[in-house]
Amino acid sequence: MSRFFERYEADPASFFDEVISKEGVPRAHYDKLLHRFAQFTTEDIRARRQIVNIFFRNQGITFTVYGVEEGIERIFPFDLIPRVVPAHEWQTIEKGLAQRVTALNEFLKDIYHTQKILKDKVVPADLVLGSKHFCREFVGVNPPQGIYIHVTGSDIIRDGSGNYLVLEDNLRTPSGVSYMLQNRQAMKRAFPVLFEKYKIRPIENYPQELLRTLQEISPVSRKEPNVVVLTPGIYNSAYFEHSFLARQMGVELTEGKDLVVNNNKVYTRTTRGLERVDVIYRRVDDAYLDPLVFRPDSKLGVAGLINAYRKGNVALANAIGTGVVDDKVIYSFVPDIIKYYLGEDPILENVPTWLPSKPAHMKYILENLGSLVVKAANESGGYGMLVGPESTIAEQEKFAELIVANPRNYIAQPTISLSRHPSFFNDTELYGCHIDLRPYVLYGKTITIVPGGLTRVALKKGSLVVNSSQGGGSKDTWVVDE
Amino acid sequence: MLSRVAESLFWMSRYFERAENTARFLDVNFNLLLDLNNITHAENPNYWIALILVTSDRDRFNELYQEYTAYTVTDYLVFNKENPNSITSCIGLARENARSIIESISSEMWEQVNNLYHYLQSVTPQLVQNDPYTFYKEIKNASHLFQGITDNTFSHNEGWDFIQIAKYLERTDNIARLIDVKYHMLLPELKSPHPLSEEPMDVVEGSVDIIQWMAVLKSCSALEAFRKVYLSRIDPDNILRFLILDRTFPRSINFSVCAAEDALWRISGSSRHRYVNNADRLIGKMEAELSYTSIEDIYSKGLHRYLEELEQRLVKIGEQVHLTYFAYHTPEIESADIDAALPFTGISGGRANWSQAQQHQQQQ
Repeated sequence: MSRFFERYEADPASFFDEVISKEGVPRAHYDKLLHRFAQFTTEDIRARRQIVNIFFRNQGITFTVYGVEEGIERIFPFDLIPRVVPAHEWQTIEKGLAQRVTALNEFLKDIYHTQKILKDKVVPADLVLGSKHFCREFVGVNPPQGIYIHVTGSDIIRDGSGNYLVLEDNLRTPSGVSYMLQNRQAMKRAFPVLFEKYKIRPIENYPQELLRTLQEISPVSRKEPNVVVLTPGIYNSAYFEHSFLARQMGVELTEGKDLVVNNNKVYTRTTRGLERVDVIYRRVDDAYLDPLVFRPDSKLGVAGLINAYRKGNVALANAIGTGVVDDKVIYSFVPDIIKYYLGEDPILENVPTWLPSKPAHMKYILENLGSLVVKAANESGGYGMLVGPESTIAEQEKFAELIVANPRNYIAQPTISLSRHPSFFNDTELYGCHIDLRPYVLYGKTITIVPGGLTRVALKKGSLVVNSSQGGGSKDTWVVDE
Repeated sequence: MLSRVAESLFWMSRYFERAENTARFLDVNFNLLLDLNNITHAENPNYWIALILVTSDRDRFNELYQEYTAYTVTDYLVFNKENPNSITSCIGLARENARSIIESISSEMWEQVNNLYHYLQSVTPQLVQNDPYTFYKEIKNASHLFQGITDNTFSHNEGWDFIQIAKYLERTDNIARLIDVKYHMLLPELKSPHPLSEEPMDVVEGSVDIIQWMAVLKSCSALEAFRKVYLSRIDPDNILRFLILDRTFPRSINFSVCAAEDALWRISGSSRHRYVNNADRLIGKMEAELSYTSIEDIYSKGLHRYLEELEQRLVKIGEQVHLTYFAYHTPEIESADIDAALPFTGISGGRANWSQAQQHQQQQ
């Protein structure tokens, strides 16, 4: 074992460690990696760290932190040790995600049309219809090809015994895929020899696959449907990603004011006049899309866009109103949703979830706040949550009040000890950090999942929160053929 | 290209050029006062009013300051954020425009705008007062560096042409204003504090202080180039001939108009015999007239009236560029009757802060 790994304390009794098994030996798919790292000195690691840092800085790969002073841009922290996922495990994830996304798409189609699942009382109607993201304006509208969720990023974790579980679904505008792509580029520069030793499945075709998916949903059939990316603008935290994806796909990056609707058709305003737009990969929330339908004060949207969409003159990816599935209360019903539409058992399980809206659950939650994770039903990015074991009594009391006042808006889950992966501290010492995995699922005429995804790392010692806005980092994810 | 991107390139370039010209006016005024110190009344506020007149900002200035002194005028033109044309405001707006199209410009261009912006944040009025020469040189050099970087790192396609149009329209406008104001300043009787409100004079006459005319040339970096053509015959006729009609000097009106015309025609494909849109027609007309105008023609019209008309026509060209390339295209707007077209609205150029809060929407 390498000098770094010799000193590494896996603690497999308390956590599932991705590299070291319960018996204290390295897992087979990490053999070559450990062998290679055994040859490195601290200086070697520092030199590679330098290569990676320069790469990220030159690429301008940064994200913006809100609530701090304007214009604070940071490099997304990156860990040099890649995560290795053996092909047979990936197969489970891939099948599980395809199943989940298929069922969720059926669910969306249903609730925006006949609402059979609500009439059959598999999911309580009030939870769906009362969800913040349920969009009444969208009932009865048929998106092109009946697809609602063209890009999904579901967060997957592993529990203490190594089972892959879905922690949450992101069906609106999942971000982070640019980091997945850039992490791979950085690793290729820093560790070229390792890439020869593993058969790593490529992910570089993601932008092409995304473009193909977007062109497939074009409502107008023409040789090269005109696809644009719609960004909220330069002040958005994910602006780099919007710009990156547009450049990678070779399409225009637009803001709301670049688009104009005339006669229910959407156009970009160019120096050569108006150009018809067929598909919009929008990274703007529903609420801001069209001031005539949603928030009238929105300056980011396009007046008339929703009517053009209803008329079938333009496709939106993702469709409107998909956020109802992101609602963490609806999340708890996903296993039932899969069974209802597909007649199958879910391949990927959910994390057990308690709903304060059920009286028995409410009692349990209030009595166990110190050991549970409480989440607001409609927040993302690690905001609005209580991690029981890390919280103070005062914080718990505050959340107890919030939950009692508004039970519909919260869920509680056991504190899962996420699997751990050795990660570098100061390039000298390895420490087990908690990780999750966000693969990106594309849904056009077929479902495509590029092998891997973004592995996020809680780089603060002991922290369970992996979100970039909360000090998390990421590492490259290798799906390897054995 | 997207109209928004073209428009941001245009305003980025225009504000940068404006900042440079303001720095030039101020720099020369300081030098002029040093030269005049023993000769005439350097404290005369008229020397400072002229700078405010160049930027057509009397009213706003009078709201903010009591008197015209080196200190107040410098503060207003360099630092004041309520003055949208102050150097600080211009570079801030140039940067905002650049930032909004950061993926379209080269990273070197962005770096240069950003450097200058941060340099300006670090400068204090004290520093400018102690060493105006170094400060203004810094601004001029930063602008030259930006243009050099742009020429060498940015593809010379449509976007580059918009940068050129903006730069040369702005420059033409600034030279015209400078000549106009200085011309009145240098009249034998320097009595009126409102030189521009006077009736236009037909001919310059009387003794003219050579030092002051040299200052005009210097502020356009034109003294050496002028001497190569006219040797040391520094008289108003030759100076006006040089600054207005010379076709080879890059800070003359004729040169700048030609350069703007080239860029406009490259974008649209217009030619000498056939114009495609009104912007092309108007710039072509202006260029042709400049080519066949003599200084006597200008005098017979009255210099002030000539320059005033020129400035108005530049505004019209700006409007037409806006309508042709940046504004929402409808057939009605492209009417042949230019005066009936929509008013020019693009002057703010920068991006307002309203959108920031909404853009901060959470990403999943």
